Amino acid sequence: MATMKRKWGMAIDLDKCTGCGACSIACMQENNLPMFTDDSDSPKRVTFLDLMRVTNDRDTDKKFGDVETAFIPKMCQQCEGNDPKNPKPPCVSVCPVVATDVGDDGVVSQIWSRCIGCRYCQASCPYEARVFNWWKPDYEGSFKEGLSPDVSVPSRGTVIKCTFCSHIWKRERDRMLAKGVKDINAVLYTPSCASACPTGAIIFGDLNDQASEVSRLAKDKRAFRLVHTIDDKPEEEKKRLMAIKHYPNPKVYYLSSKQWIKDMQKFK
Amino acid sequence: MEILNQIKDEWNAAKTACLNGITGAMKFCKDEWNGYTRNIKITLLVLFGLVGLFIIFGIQILGWGLGYTDMSNLYPFGQWIIGDLGLVGLGGGAFTMGFFLYILRVDKLKPLINSTVLIGFMCYLFTLVFLVFDIGQPLRAWFGYAYPNWGHGLMPQSMLTEVVWCLTFYFCVLIIELVPLPLEHPVLQKFPFIHGLTHYMHKLMWIMAAAGTFLSFFHQGSLGGGMWGVLYGKVVWYRPAYFFTAIVAATAGGTAFMALCAYIAGKVMKKEVVPWDSFQTLAQISGVLTIFAFLFQAWHVYMQATHFVPAFDRSFLDIWGGYYGIWMVVLMFAAYIGAIVLLNVGALRSQERFFVAGISCGVGAISFDKMIVVLHGSSTPNFPWKSFAGYNPTIQEWGIFLGGLATMILIYMLFAKYFPLFPHLNKHGHGEEHAH
Repeated sequence: MATMKRKWGMAIDLDKCTGCGACSIACMQENNLPMFTDDSDSPKRVTFLDLMRVTNDRDTDKKFGDVETAFIPKMCQQCEGNDPKNPKPPCVSVCPVVATDVGDDGVVSQIWSRCIGCRYCQASCPYEARVFNWWKPDYEGSFKEGLSPDVSVPSRGTVIKCTFCSHIWKRERDRMLAKGVKDINAVLYTPSCASACPTGAIIFGDLNDQASEVSRLAKDKRAFRLVHTIDDKPEEEKKRLMAIKHYPNPKVYYLSSKQWIKDMQKFK
Repeated sequence: MEILNQIKDEWNAAKTACLNGITGAMKFCKDEWNGYTRNIKITLLVLFGLVGLFIIFGIQILGWGLGYTDMSNLYPFGQWIIGDLGLVGLGGGAFTMGFFLYILRVDKLKPLINSTVLIGFMCYLFTLVFLVFDIGQPLRAWFGYAYPNWGHGLMPQSMLTEVVWCLTFYFCVLIIELVPLPLEHPVLQKFPFIHGLTHYMHKLMWIMAAAGTFLSFFHQGSLGGGMWGVLYGKVVWYRPAYFFTAIVAATAGGTAFMALCAYIAGKVMKKEVVPWDSFQTLAQISGVLTIFAFLFQAWHVYMQATHFVPAFDRSFLDIWGGYYGIWMVVLMFAAYIGAIVLLNVGALRSQERFFVAGISCGVGAISFDKMIVVLHGSSTPNFPWKSFAGYNPTIQEWGIFLGGLATMILIYMLFAKYFPLFPHLNKHGHGEEHAH
């Protein structure tokens, strides 16, 4: 059996993101997510990829014309805790029925049909990335006929989450296996949000592969992680803080050339 | 033909017996109802009305889901979880009393023990009931036993796994502790076997008290504090030693709650249900425990302000804004101080009004603590561009919550009327003259 070499990660270039929402729509379709009549900004909506709108007028009194807006596509950040060799995402250890786990490829999984809907994982998630099916899933018109057979259809009363579309990887691996390729590390894939992005703002790949674009972007000067201010601290201070508690240490990186977006990651 | 006639006769006899039974039951209920005062009648109507809402909304929530609540993806825990934490915390008085009576042999607490065991049992029963409503897939509730998250070691990995198992075991202990109470009914006591059984159960109850204390230490800590303290991604909740605070707070607030319930029962029944001495002893115990609970809470606030919140790169005062912010913390500490002063100063505690105020403060302190945990924990924003969230329970949530509490009160009333909930009443001829 081949040893897993991959560690999937993502880099999202906010300078390229136009906020069109194609990633969110593609994600909903790929993962069989329900769409309700009014799903615009409801805190009960079921979506893996949320487009958060931020503006630069939080700290200063900007006038009309000077206000800048940015959209931050936010999905599960696939946290791993302080020690990447022994990943401890905040949501995994809390599940009372082992409905969620972290794989050796670094992806935090969720088994729809094992979940009892206690929402403890949802409470533990610092990125509000997990969603609960408050209602029985509803599909408008002929949408139901286009459901993907690779993903479980969510049922009412369960928590579901983004898995970096790991079912696509499984599908690709099966396809390669049929061709006689047995090494799982030989197969790469692209999640639906990255495929759908018209400006190529979402880059997905293997963080263990130093030559991959995502690895290069993660080390870019413009890179930062969502509300992960420990990254900016000196090494000594970082060590001291990590002795106090775990940090999410997410595998999704954001890139921006605008300082105000990075400043926005800190609470006042 | 003869057989048919025989069947007909037997059918008629059964019908008559049935009708007589129904008529008798209706007459009994009517006589009972007419025997009540106006105030009791109004109370009963309100309580039964709430139980009706509990049933209607219970069917709606179980059948159509949690969409009818005001909980959301931003606010995953709501009123029922406050109820769970509060009931288990206040029900903690049961194991504390059991420990003091059966292990430390504080015999003055004996007149309170039946009432305490019943309240403890109901607190845990309704915690489980609220949990069933709160989980999205009630039919999968057994997954907690079938697929527990034990992790790799002996200790459970998920605090909720620990809660599920410990709560179940302790609930079994409470059932065993409760059994002698209905069996002590004078009618049943005429049977020598039942008489002997209750006698020996009382003799051996220290084993249950010890088991209960052992189990309660774990789940009081895990549900009340550990469950929240391990959430390292959440600034309000992350308090690693909150586990121990929850245990001490439950012993303090729980004992105050047991005293308060028995006191209210005495007031409603207009009888001395428990000797004043017993109330004083329990209040004294509660007062001392409240000092420890206060010290633990104060230490936590200090640790949060100086260690944990700065580790999130946030300021302590900043996280205590919003609807359920600093004012609730102040109120909780005020209740703690009230309970400490009123229950520990003998001159104050011995006066009835200060005694009542003291135990109410004890109950209030632990209730506020649980409300802060649930309401404020979810309310605090995770992203700097978001504001504090609000939560406004829907009528379905209120109906189930208040209906559950109303059912508890009705069961308590039933036991107080028909079973020896307060043995002191039988010993001292109802003691109307000593009513407090």
